[in-house]
Amino acid sequence: MATLHPVDRAADRRSGVPAIATQGLTKDYGSVLALDSLDVTVGTGVTGLVGANGAGKSTLIKILLGLLDPTAGSAQVLGHDIATEGAEIRARVGYMPEHECLPPDVSASDFVVHMAQMSGLPHAAARERAADVLRHVGLAEERYRPMGGYSTGMKQRAKLAQALAHDPRLVLLDEPTNGLDPASRDDMLELVRRIGHDFGIAVLVTSHLLGELERVSDHVVVLDGGRLLRASATTDFLDTTGTLLVEVLGGATERDLLGRALHDAGFPSRPRGNVVAVEPPAPGDTRNVHDMIRDTAVDLGLGLVRIQPDHHRIEDIFREEVAGAVQPH
Amino acid sequence: MPSSHTEPRTGGPAGRAGGVIHDIGYRPYAGPRGGHGAIARSLYLTGVRNVFGLGRSGKSKILPFALLALNVLPAVIIVGVVTFIGLSSLPLAYPEYAATTTILLGTFAAAQGPILFSRDLRHGTISLYLARPLSATAYALARWGALATGIFAFVMAPILVMYLGALLAQMDAGEQTTDFLAATLVSLLLAGMLASVSGLFSAIALRRGFAVVGTIGTILFGYGVVAVIQGISLEQDQERVGEIAGLFHPMTLYAGLVNVLTDADNAITPPTGAAMEVLYVVVSVLLALGGLGLLLLRYRRLATR
Ligand SMILES: Nc1ncnc2c1ncn2[C@@H]1O[C@H](COP(=O)(O)OP(=O)(O)OP(=O)(O)O)[C@@H](O)[C@H]1O
Ligand SMILES: [Mg+2]
Repeated sequence: MATLHPVDRAADRRSGVPAIATQGLTKDYGSVLALDSLDVTVGTGVTGLVGANGAGKSTLIKILLGLLDPTAGSAQVLGHDIATEGAEIRARVGYMPEHECLPPDVSASDFVVHMAQMSGLPHAAARERAADVLRHVGLAEERYRPMGGYSTGMKQRAKLAQALAHDPRLVLLDEPTNGLDPASRDDMLELVRRIGHDFGIAVLVTSHLLGELERVSDHVVVLDGGRLLRASATTDFLDTTGTLLVEVLGGATERDLLGRALHDAGFPSRPRGNVVAVEPPAPGDTRNVHDMIRDTAVDLGLGLVRIQPDHHRIEDIFREEVAGAVQPH
Repeated sequence: MPSSHTEPRTGGPAGRAGGVIHDIGYRPYAGPRGGHGAIARSLYLTGVRNVFGLGRSGKSKILPFALLALNVLPAVIIVGVVTFIGLSSLPLAYPEYAATTTILLGTFAAAQGPILFSRDLRHGTISLYLARPLSATAYALARWGALATGIFAFVMAPILVMYLGALLAQMDAGEQTTDFLAATLVSLLLAGMLASVSGLFSAIALRRGFAVVGTIGTILFGYGVVAVIQGISLEQDQERVGEIAGLFHPMTLYAGLVNVLTDADNAITPPTGAAMEVLYVVVSVLLALGGLGLLLLRYRRLATR
């Protein structure tokens, strides 16, 4: 009986191959062009795959797993070709589908053990792994109860646990926050972040909510109607805009006092919430903005609370590009 | 965050010794991973357990074990009577047993097929299997094997009880063993045929109820129809018609096989002539393997859409 090569993480990591790479990937369902000549590369860490309903997110994931055949184009997962090395890919990848996939009459514990064995782990090792991952996803005593009685949050955790059962190199998480209340959603996103950063497993996570992936993703890929709209590092979005946000003690009166003084000094300033947004000085103006703000506040007798740089939010950047294609929350 | 993203795995449990003891962090798995054969064997074994409700919720065990108890009970009574009275032979030949408990056998096959096939399709679990190394056809083969094994065990349990009882009652061991092995052979063919019928219904009907009704209808009602045709043809001295009708149902095929392959006989119109006897064996094997082939085809199409 053939034994698959043990999954050599060190080699995978050293080789520097991207977790996912696609070239001209196309899926035509006949009635719908779900993916339109897609070129993307996904590396380590957490990558958010964002798009409205029907953008092609699930189609992409299923093609990467070999569950669907592409109409055209090619793709590699962890350096393995989807057309010829499906079994190798599926041995190294974990999949959390968007739909229900749990048998109701089996306990999470038994199920995760079974799924680890379905990736080739021996029984004893599978039991150990199941206990580990169920602890990581936060399923406690309920792991011994049939999953039919689980809440949506518990079901999502069990689905995630089976995706991690065999210690994959990459997990494909299709809408893991679907149907969760805000608190469970935060828990799930924190888990996703830990998987990508602390567990060292590359993550591709989909959502149609741009805002929620911003916090946990290193990269964001935006799909719109099967086409790549944008792929960037999340840090690109978080680059400072040059604007400074200044907060002083007191209320609107104090805020506006400072704002007007700075404006008169030649720094365009606007009130924003309870702070003053101070735009950078014009090119050629060599004055130090920080010093100016501090001196102005002292002159006016205002208590300075903080000065901090203003960041772009992904949503602000995409709002125009996507033009309604992605729901920003 | 990404800028401070350092090598996360190099620490391992030892490197994290300074951390809190109860949180040992994520442990990668470096142990062996079996190939397709090992995975298929594991799927098969889990399937055999699941057929009897093992590894599933408590109430899943009730039906299979109640049916099994009812199926074995007459055999226990027979053994009791035989040893008490001291008979020199069993009142019922081994392979005739399954024919007299067709209702139990049909119910078992119909009720447990959906456990192995409909359940995964209905609850979407199949996509988790397809996202793992085993191919869809290997999955279906392991599932079919588990169902056939479960049915075989169900058929053989009472026969084994009778066999042990016969040996205990000091009947001719050689004769009993020969009969027992012949019964094992025809039971294997019966289990294969029933697994294919039940498996096919279960892989097409996602709702367990439809699969159960379809299988029970085919096994019990269809059996009644064929048996009536055979009865009439016997009355009318048209045995050939009955022999041909018998080819269209697993239970009448089984009765014919028993006639051909063992010393026992409980067919209404047993196959006569070498050609018809061979035909019964060939059709039985074709039904079992053909049904399996259709199952594999169904799962291959599921996998590549
Ligand atoms: N089997 C199929 N046959 C025909 N069209 C399909 C099929 N599956 C998906 N589609 C279509 O392809 C497009 C992309 O679907 P897909 O499920 O990949 O989108 P998605 O981004 O995952 O959407 P959602 O956020 O709703 O999950 C949609 O227009 C969908 O209707
Ligand atoms: Mg989707």
